[in-house]
Amino acid sequence: MSATATTQVFPTFAEVYQGFAGQIGMLREMAPTPTKSDDQRLQGAVDTLIEETNAGEAVWLESCIHCGQCTSACHYFQALGDAKYAPMRKMDLYRRVYRREISPLRWLHRLVTKAVELADFEDAVPLIYDSCSECGRCTMVCPMGIDTASLVHHMRSAMVAAELVPPELAALRMEQLHQGTVFGSSPEALKNMVDTIRERAGVDIPLDKESAEVMVLSSAVDLVANGNGLLATARIMNHISVDWTICSDGFESANFGLLSGDMSLWKKQSDPIVAAAKRVKAKTLVIAECGHAYPALRWNPMLRSGALPFEMMYMSEFLGKQAQAGKLRLKPMEGKVTFHDPCKTGRRGGAFDEPRSVLKAMNADLVEMPNHKEYNWCCGGGAGIFLLADATELRDESFKIKIREVDETGADSVVVSCASCRLNFESGRQKNHWDKRVESLVELTAAHLIDDDVAVAPAAGAAS
Amino acid sequence: MAERATFGDLLHSRGVSRRAFLKFCSTTASLMALPAGTATAMAEALSAARRPSVIWLSFQECTGCTEALTRSHAPTLESLLFNFISLDYHHTLQAASGDAAEHAREEAQHANSGEYLVLVDGSIPLLEYCSTVAGISNKAMLVAACEHAAAVINIGTCAAYGGIPVAKPNPTKAVAVGDIIKDKPIINVPGCPPMPLAITGVIAQYLTLGKLPQLDHLGRPVAFFGENIHDRCYRRPFYDRGQFAETFDDEGARKGWCLYKLGCKAPVAYNACAHIKWNNGVSFPIQSGHGCIGCSEPGFWDMGGVYQSVATGKFGDGAKLGAAATAGAALGAGAAILARRRKAALHGEDSAEH
Amino acid sequence: MSLLDFARGPAIHASLIILVAGILLRLVGVLALTRGADLSRPRDAFGNFKGYRTVFSRFWPSSEFTTATIYQTAMAYVFHLAALLVVVGIVPHIEFITSLTGFSWPGLPNWLGVAMGTLALGSLIALIIRRLSHPAVYNSTVGDYITWAIVALPLVTGLMAFAHVGPRYETMLALHILSAALLFAYMPFSKLMHAFWFIFSRAQSGLAYAHKGVRI
Repeated sequence: MSATATTQVFPTFAEVYQGFAGQIGMLREMAPTPTKSDDQRLQGAVDTLIEETNAGEAVWLESCIHCGQCTSACHYFQALGDAKYAPMRKMDLYRRVYRREISPLRWLHRLVTKAVELADFEDAVPLIYDSCSECGRCTMVCPMGIDTASLVHHMRSAMVAAELVPPELAALRMEQLHQGTVFGSSPEALKNMVDTIRERAGVDIPLDKESAEVMVLSSAVDLVANGNGLLATARIMNHISVDWTICSDGFESANFGLLSGDMSLWKKQSDPIVAAAKRVKAKTLVIAECGHAYPALRWNPMLRSGALPFEMMYMSEFLGKQAQAGKLRLKPMEGKVTFHDPCKTGRRGGAFDEPRSVLKAMNADLVEMPNHKEYNWCCGGGAGIFLLADATELRDESFKIKIREVDETGADSVVVSCASCRLNFESGRQKNHWDKRVESLVELTAAHLIDDDVAVAPAAGAAS
Repeated sequence: MAERATFGDLLHSRGVSRRAFLKFCSTTASLMALPAGTATAMAEALSAARRPSVIWLSFQECTGCTEALTRSHAPTLESLLFNFISLDYHHTLQAASGDAAEHAREEAQHANSGEYLVLVDGSIPLLEYCSTVAGISNKAMLVAACEHAAAVINIGTCAAYGGIPVAKPNPTKAVAVGDIIKDKPIINVPGCPPMPLAITGVIAQYLTLGKLPQLDHLGRPVAFFGENIHDRCYRRPFYDRGQFAETFDDEGARKGWCLYKLGCKAPVAYNACAHIKWNNGVSFPIQSGHGCIGCSEPGFWDMGGVYQSVATGKFGDGAKLGAAATAGAALGAGAAILARRRKAALHGEDSAEH
Repeated sequence: MSLLDFARGPAIHASLIILVAGILLRLVGVLALTRGADLSRPRDAFGNFKGYRTVFSRFWPSSEFTTATIYQTAMAYVFHLAALLVVVGIVPHIEFITSLTGFSWPGLPNWLGVAMGTLALGSLIALIIRRLSHPAVYNSTVGDYITWAIVALPLVTGLMAFAHVGPRYETMLALHILSAALLFAYMPFSKLMHAFWFIFSRAQSGLAYAHKGVRI
């Protein structure tokens, strides 16, 4: 019953993608216009960089020798071959500001370099947003080990101060800042979705329990478009009979503070989640399949997470740990499969083995891509880029690298564990008429549960 | 003064065969890189040449240059040529003394005005009281002697470049001839002492061809000073192989390896020592086991220690570097502290806004 | 004072003072800036320590990048090793360093020194050819070319001095020492500081990634 029932309850992901694309199109019209004077915007951007520059950033900015090796690692450069998209270029403006304002040789640099203007920040928008998914692959080849992604992230903070955030991200940032929602995914939307799932699929989601061992997050994509994601999560949680809940005052994984570069919104968005988890005395906080939510919470540098009473893990990590503990009873999977490590949970998150444990529990014939784990090629849609209209060509061209990588494995399907990756894969699949299936790890797992209708007779009595 | 004898007469009277004389001329011509036909012309001209008048002035010097020329092991054609010139004034060699000697000099200057040669050894102190001859300061005597001279030949490094007297701290404020005489042709034949053949070669060319030899940028005849001793050194292969004597009595020294590390200045010295050699071609300093001291070069006495290799830098002590390090670190720390303060101030503003 | 005396006296002395002061100014000025703190809980308790491994692992690109980077990496290695051997291996340089530090060691045969110098210059030329022929990859700035020239000059003048070509030996030697002095004085203000930065830069990234349990 499960697989067919699921597809009947909610639209397929291919349809989800098409509906979602329309919503994204409207974001541009909702974008805020700059409110401050040009001088204030420039000063704000420079001040932000000064504030965010520590010795670490300074060392990275000092270290680049223009050896050009990073270009071989960047999917955007490799796709378009345009000098503009060389990773080292993405920190040029930051370095100019650093040299004039912070460097120990600033007195010299002020003599010999031109002052930075707001136009320079405007010119840098395509480098800081459109053509850098902060995937960190260039760090893997850089002989100096420069972490370009984190430097780009500081530039995004400066762009927030300069009011130069691309319209799509700016609109969502404003929505999250003022309404506390993303694409309108309010607590009411969550409740509606929970009710829909209960009514149509007969799966119970324990919303707002007083206390629970596991607190699960959802995400806007699941609430406004892809109900299958939350449904699958619920089925798995119920399957392993864990004491879990979703809190309507802290359920949103997406964090447009992090994506746009707004550090205060980042913190503002993660605080209620932490508070809710403390309140329900959760031992584990499971972050939904939303790539950037993992660094937003688990690796949030402003959050002393070692002192928190709960552990944070990504959905794939949680599933992997359950699989490793033998708590997931899964049917074998047909056909060859390959796994795409999302940048934010893989190279920049460290959750490599757990998702593979889940696939192993399904007895999947896993074939790794030539570049995998730390060396995985970004799909091109991360760090909010999937939403940016200006990045369409970059995204589409760079996805061809991913197609090549997946094709080399000979797999029938590629499993991802990140809503952005999945949307971008779906977009690439449809645009290129690609014959691969794109699966979400959580939905794939739910579809392979050895479910109650098979094991119902012996298990039902014991469980309930 | 009686009709002067020719050089041919002199040779004849000394029993030197024409064959030996021709050999001398062709050797000299080839050494000075003159065209092949010049040897015969030189022989003709030399045979017929009248004794030229030469005034030899000795200032702040050690007489080593004169010794090198006159104390040859055996009488040679070089010394004969030297004997041939009319050495009208040379206070070491001349018999006359006192007023008579000075009178001879003045007479020679007067009689051969515009034709005589002035040979100088020794440097000239600008503190004029430091060196005088017959109550006349070196500088005054040089200026007077050069006034009507045809050319000046500086014999030895002291006259050419100041030599030892000029070495720091130069207590007599010594200078070279060229620093005082600006309006006469000057040929430098440096060395401490210079090679005798270089002196006679220059004189022979002047006598025969009536012109000065081609000079390098330091006023030295290219024929004798155009080549680097290091390039001509028979120990060069050991340098190329990286085989060096480390001390004067180690195995390398005994095997005749390169003396570069023992301070040999051959790489920066230009002279004919390595191919013409000294004492009738017997040897030269490097062959006898001591590095070249670069005596034919300006300022050779201050070119670093005799036993310090050419590549040695001069740094004084390390204290300055230590001070530089401290200053650099202090400036760096200051820059960082100012940057930190600015950041803290910005942070304060931000907190106030919220 | 002759050019040679100027070069190996005041010029080299001044350049060394600039070198030492400049390096310390830049190192201290950067490293004494505020330290960022990552408060998040590391993946495993001693994991961060493993990050230091990156300082060494980056000595060769991982196999994923071999094809794209082999030319650059190989040439860079040839250049660095050959230049290092020349700098510390040939006897005149040892004599020079000895006169500054008092330390001394056996030198290489000169033929090897010449071979290494030629190799270093050759690899430097190979690198600039690639830089010029792939403008998109390198995004070269004027500083890149100036640095290249300043690094190439001591090699060119050194080889010329050794081969006794061009001006007289002492002039060539003086030019060689002056070019080295220029390199010393330029070093602290240029990308040549990567000689120091690479340790800090690699370690930082290694630690940041090890914090998340990623080995880079």
